[in-house]
Amino acid sequence: MGRAYRGTPLLSPSDRHLVSRFSYGVTPELAARVRKAGGARRWWQAELNAGTADPGAGQIDGWWPDLDDDPGRLWINSRARGSDRTGYKVMIDYQRWCLARRIVADRQPREVMTEFWENLFNVPTLGDPSFVQRFDYGQTIRRNAFASYETILTAAVTHPAMLLYLDQCSSTKEHPIENLGRELLELHTVGRGAYDESEVVASARILTGWLVRTAFKTSDMASWDRYYDPAEHWTGTVRVMGFSDANRDPRDTGLLGRYLRYLARHERTALRVAQRLAVKFVSDTPSRRLVENLARVYLANDTEIVPVLEALVSDREFQGAVGRKVRDPGEDIVATHRALGSRMSKPRTDDDAAQVTLYQSSLMGQTPFSWPRPDGSPIDNASWSTPARMLGSFKVHHNLAHGAWPNRGVTYRSASSWLPPLPARFSQVVDHLSRQILHRPASDRLIRACAAATGQQPGETVTSGHPVAHAQLDLVLTTILDSPEHLAR
Amino acid sequence: MTTSTPDHVTTDPLAPGPGSTPADDAPTCCDPTLTRRRLLEATALAAATGGTTAVFGDAVLQTAYGAPRPGRPVLVVLSLRGAADGLSMVAPYGDPTYLACRGWQAIGSDRVWGGDGFFGWNDDLKALQPLWNSKRLAAVHAVGLPIPNRSHFSAMEQIEDADPTSSVRTGWLNRLIGLRDGGPLAGFNVDEGVTPTSLSGPAPSMGAAQVDRVSIAGSTSPTDRRMRSLHALWDGEGGALGLAARRSFTVVKDFKPVLKASAKPRNGAKYPNGDLGTALGTAARVIRGDVGVQVLTVDYGAWDMHANLGVNGGDMSKHCQTLAQGIAAFFTDLGQDGDRVTLITVTEFGRRMQLNSQQGLDHGWGSVMLLAGAGVNGGRFYSRFPDLDDTLEADLTVTTDYRTILSEIVEARFGVARNKVFPGFAERAQTGLLRPA
Repeated sequence: MGRAYRGTPLLSPSDRHLVSRFSYGVTPELAARVRKAGGARRWWQAELNAGTADPGAGQIDGWWPDLDDDPGRLWINSRARGSDRTGYKVMIDYQRWCLARRIVADRQPREVMTEFWENLFNVPTLGDPSFVQRFDYGQTIRRNAFASYETILTAAVTHPAMLLYLDQCSSTKEHPIENLGRELLELHTVGRGAYDESEVVASARILTGWLVRTAFKTSDMASWDRYYDPAEHWTGTVRVMGFSDANRDPRDTGLLGRYLRYLARHERTALRVAQRLAVKFVSDTPSRRLVENLARVYLANDTEIVPVLEALVSDREFQGAVGRKVRDPGEDIVATHRALGSRMSKPRTDDDAAQVTLYQSSLMGQTPFSWPRPDGSPIDNASWSTPARMLGSFKVHHNLAHGAWPNRGVTYRSASSWLPPLPARFSQVVDHLSRQILHRPASDRLIRACAAATGQQPGETVTSGHPVAHAQLDLVLTTILDSPEHLAR
Repeated sequence: MTTSTPDHVTTDPLAPGPGSTPADDAPTCCDPTLTRRRLLEATALAAATGGTTAVFGDAVLQTAYGAPRPGRPVLVVLSLRGAADGLSMVAPYGDPTYLACRGWQAIGSDRVWGGDGFFGWNDDLKALQPLWNSKRLAAVHAVGLPIPNRSHFSAMEQIEDADPTSSVRTGWLNRLIGLRDGGPLAGFNVDEGVTPTSLSGPAPSMGAAQVDRVSIAGSTSPTDRRMRSLHALWDGEGGALGLAARRSFTVVKDFKPVLKASAKPRNGAKYPNGDLGTALGTAARVIRGDVGVQVLTVDYGAWDMHANLGVNGGDMSKHCQTLAQGIAAFFTDLGQDGDRVTLITVTEFGRRMQLNSQQGLDHGWGSVMLLAGAGVNGGRFYSRFPDLDDTLEADLTVTTDYRTILSEIVEARFGVARNKVFPGFAERAQTGLLRPA
């Protein structure tokens, strides 16, 4: 009897790699779907062309009812005397919704790309008053997750949540506030070094007139929608790099659209979008060749993202980068729930699993979109490779594998459902678990570590009455979740 | 007062470090009321009620670099993220241009304490008065980057990296602790999130918002099954993650004295409610544990007051009150331990001279730096204050490079040559702010 237990069919390593990078973890169920689609590449292609409907994600509909309220209602609720529906609490619900959705969504690549863009155009989930529009902001990005960069840029930058967050809603023609005009250049498009301070002012002036129907000082009902006010639009020639416009008419002449179109198609923007995609999906040190090639595809396809992604996954550098990306804390908590096959239910108390995921993510050092700056949370390995993060991950894995925290609003898999037919050797038990959790056979290192955790020998025979089939199973699960393989994607 | 012998330079701190994107915690750009650490407080509560806490056995402390020497100097760098308006903290109330620029949001002679006829402390910083009167507090004005940089992220990177001679991303505090083989607890960020740029680099550091998080769940001793299993998984693992895992094992062992020390603030210290008070309380506890921590970083965010500056009970008032109460409580709590602790505030840039249409301040240039505690020649304002302009674009011109002050700190408190920590910084100016150790 060999070490391997072949009860769980595995995708090939290259298929696992593609699915792993474009999902929050390869589960046996996801692997079955991939096989049914005819392999990873075909599955991936189909996902890029799939619509936004997501039956799996539908199961969390209504779990956080405030998210369905319109912005005006959210604002009034948050301002009510003694309100427990402050913007801060609504945003916590949104963060929980994001984590839960990533766990259960069928359309995994769309979720991954949504997070990628939503982080690139970060509107922190701590922001008051942008919280009233924050859920719609995320949904807007989700709808456009596979659109052109020009479309995504326009949708994000002109969304009321962004206009509120970066002070555009308070900008006037006499005193344009530079916040959004600056970040649009520095973070969302061409990057520093391409423009000077006078061009930042011009950028801010182009944006004047775009406002939000607010009710800051009152508890009145307002739509919190974007609108254009010609009386607040600065007129006169504007020049930003190669873009210029006489801008004589205060009415909306499509100036902002022309400006964003120019920025989206700028070569520097192409290179920066290509670099960021490569760092997220390939490695922290993508070659110049890869980045320049992706930028070329981007420009040749009118900033469409799908052809860029196709070029990315077809590149030998992508195929050679297996396991080279560290899971950030959000990816860790989502992947851990998916790996354990835990099933959450609608939360009724703060101790329920669907609420607790957020605290667990925080223990590892990050929660969804709470990075308090517009440049988005880091996507490199070094940022999430700290002793503090490791201690957080070890704690969260331990608690979840033991079913200790959370232990409400969640059903964990039974011990017997994890095990191969018994008796089996200890190493075979570990291999069976490794195939389910890591979607790969157990390495010698993993078997050694599981043996150390339980005090067993790899050749030990595990019978139905053996401790490994009962109390010690949690120790084996913890060890597999703590492995370097689980902490990479 | 405890004194220390300057350490000899043992390693070259300028080894290549891991590259990464800007990596620190800062306030939102629009919202001056909320910061990220609030969530972490919620987390702590949840962990306390529902989480598991590791229990420590009587493990023998074993470290690869020798036991930390007690009583060494400590530097606390308190970052006012979001670019704080120094003119609202230490007000040049004797300058009519300042008063004209700020109008009803100016801090005039009737609203300052400790005034010297030109500079005075905003009344909202009143809690600092005992430190000032005992000459343990000083302020430097018109300090900042030598050339204006109005990008939050880029300015923070520049200030915290502080080495224009190298493209390698290494923070100045990392270079400082890298000069001594201080082990993975030499630097401590009071948060478990991303390490700030100032601490990033080849020398290891630790982070935690709460001291009881420095533990390995399921382990009660460094040699139990849980630890043997983790060693089997990680001891041979390369890359940044493998290194981080192994450092975490060492940190947990070395941190034990901190967990044994009482969590209760001493000497009647009363920290302000909220993020800053919690963080400074944690910092004091870590320092009291005396486990070899030489530098600590603490963030106090949300100073980006583009709209409604609020010196009359608004955002600026509240921020100043919290800041002053936090620093005062920190030194009260430390008591005698405070004799080896120097605290400084750093911010990425200051604000414009004139208020904007929303009664707020857009991004400017110079700001103020506060220094408190060990070695500080306090009770004085230090500044070559520039002439001010009352125009839309006018800044507070920087007259003191921030590295001048930081250089004096590393020389006076740590006994290391400034060019080891600030390569390429040739200025030899001495402000006299620090007494030699």
